[in-house]
Amino acid sequence: MKRLLELLTGTYGPSGSEEDIREVIEKEVREYADEVYTDALGSLIAVKKGKGRKVMLAAHMDQIGLIVTGIDDNGFLRFSNVGGISPFNVIHRKVRFQNGVTGVVSYETELEDIRNLKLGKMYIDIGAKSKDEAKALVNIGDVAVYDAPMAVCGDRVTGCAMDDRAGCAVLVETLKRVRNTDHELYFVFTVQEEVGLRGARTSAYGIMPDIGISVDVTLTGDTPKSRPMAINLGEGPAIKVKDASVIAHPKVKELMIQRAREAGIPYQLEVLEAGGTDSGAIHLTGAGVPSGVISIPCRYVHSAQEMVDLKDLTQAVELLVTILEKEIEI
Amino acid sequence: MKDFLKELIEIPGVSGYEAEIAGYIANEFRQHCDEVVTDPFYNVYGIKRGAGDKSNPKVMLAAHMDEIALMVKDIDKSGFLRFTNIGGVDQRILLAQEVIVHGRDKLTGIVAVMPPHLLSPEDASRAIEMKDMYIDLGLPCERVKELVQVGDLITFKSPLVSMLGSFVNGKSIDDRAGVVILNEVMKELDKLVYQAEVCCVATVQEEVGTRGAIISTYRAEPDIGIAIDVTHGDTPDASKDDTYAMDKGIVVCKGPNMHPGLTERFLEIAREYRMDCQVAVSPRPTGTDARSMQISRAGVPTILVEIPLRYMHTTVETLNLDHIKSAARLIALFIASLKEGWQEWLRY
Repeated sequence: MKRLLELLTGTYGPSGSEEDIREVIEKEVREYADEVYTDALGSLIAVKKGKGRKVMLAAHMDQIGLIVTGIDDNGFLRFSNVGGISPFNVIHRKVRFQNGVTGVVSYETELEDIRNLKLGKMYIDIGAKSKDEAKALVNIGDVAVYDAPMAVCGDRVTGCAMDDRAGCAVLVETLKRVRNTDHELYFVFTVQEEVGLRGARTSAYGIMPDIGISVDVTLTGDTPKSRPMAINLGEGPAIKVKDASVIAHPKVKELMIQRAREAGIPYQLEVLEAGGTDSGAIHLTGAGVPSGVISIPCRYVHSAQEMVDLKDLTQAVELLVTILEKEIEI
Repeated sequence: MKDFLKELIEIPGVSGYEAEIAGYIANEFRQHCDEVVTDPFYNVYGIKRGAGDKSNPKVMLAAHMDEIALMVKDIDKSGFLRFTNIGGVDQRILLAQEVIVHGRDKLTGIVAVMPPHLLSPEDASRAIEMKDMYIDLGLPCERVKELVQVGDLITFKSPLVSMLGSFVNGKSIDDRAGVVILNEVMKELDKLVYQAEVCCVATVQEEVGTRGAIISTYRAEPDIGIAIDVTHGDTPDASKDDTYAMDKGIVVCKGPNMHPGLTERFLEIAREYRMDCQVAVSPRPTGTDARSMQISRAGVPTILVEIPLRYMHTTVETLNLDHIKSAARLIALFIASLKEGWQEWLRY
């Protein structure tokens, strides 16, 4: 799990430019699936054929990024956000483009009050001394991502793009481990979640599953003076009750709880007040797809150092495997 | 009619958890239509087949059964509940409310409030936010943790109250009044000759983003959509432009979300039968099921019928029952007017 997570979080793949991460995941899943294909928007779908329920499992492979909107005369890059980039999270962060060019993010220091900092007052410095030098390396429309290799802190790891490569890692491991199942399983590594659940929307329409389960990160309430939230890092995967995009179907949620209890897997119940995930799009597909979510507790979401506990990931895999190997009656 | 509304209001039906109220609505619908279907999300479809053949339109009516509520998000060390909202709960009305916490049992709770004696002058003039509120169950922490868990629902306690005349108040009249209208439309249709196939859908999850309408419209695949919801009744403090009289008839909404020809036809029928209608304008997609019905599949010409309601999203939503009757009558007459050549009205 650790090796896989390091590989996935270290691979480039902002929303809309998921080629590299798709290739890496495809290599991981190819030999375990009956069929692997990429849909029209770029979501990667690994199918395990079966005669039972059609289950769509989704984790998004895209990550947030910084898109270049302009290059000034001195070679500084102006940028906008792809997904939820906060100005405060990117100050003096190292970022990397698809071609390997790296830069550091800074801001106009004539700004009097840091609270007024907006992305429009920030820039990426790639070390270029002129516009021409910069243009030889980067084009308008290119997207940079955090350059933050995974670091280990005990059972916990930090790094960028745990949101949602942690979910991708859980799906890859689940595909490798699930054996005795009659259900037809679609492991979908979706694109463009960070810009509005777009890959999930179209891939779910293409599949028209009976049941949808997405795996994504969620926030925690266990850091000093954090907003109250009953999720702690390392206390097991979270079974979602609701977020801003979906109210988990009560029967899917109950099934998850029941399977966790039977298998003695610790779990937490998640009520997330802001933010959404792929199930938000999946459950409203066609005439409706009963859907739920298994969440990985994660601190500092959307920063360059998102922290997860590997135990939560392995237990999420165990929970998914037991759900998929048993009857799914909704 | 009033009894049905009264019973509907007392059954919990929080967005995403409509199984119980859906069962109740299905039973009631069954008495007035040919077939009742409940989908996996608990949208309830009451289908009435008119005298026409396949060339006649399929009309879908939608009114949402779900209600706004609260949900437990954390239990603190002394057994007080922290909560979040489901749908647009007005935090100004929460303090000192009596609520029902749907834990292992139904528990009575109180939204805690600091006595004025203990407030500093600054705090006394400040509105308290939902994130700082607690619910008190009057039980020790250990007992609370046995009975309640994160994700449990919290509903308001406020049964239907009859006021003088034809006004009533209570919680979640938005949009249980609309569900009553669906039922009344079915009864009215029994008195008329009509050609269309009518699908009356009590939808789920409207308050969290018209989600039930998205999937139920896809399933029903109608030719024409009619959404039924509440709008704002007039009060002394609100702008006349945004509110509607409580005694001047139902409200028909115009704007890009609604089909112009069909809306005009609806207003013509009202004039023909000398029934009062007020006209509203919404320049944006409305916050009703009409929003999602219109853009389902290849598009559904949709109209929106609204009932004025005062104090929306509180526990004392106030409505004139006469409007339920007149809305049902007018919608039924409109449906009966859909005869051969109905497609003409949809031309731009």
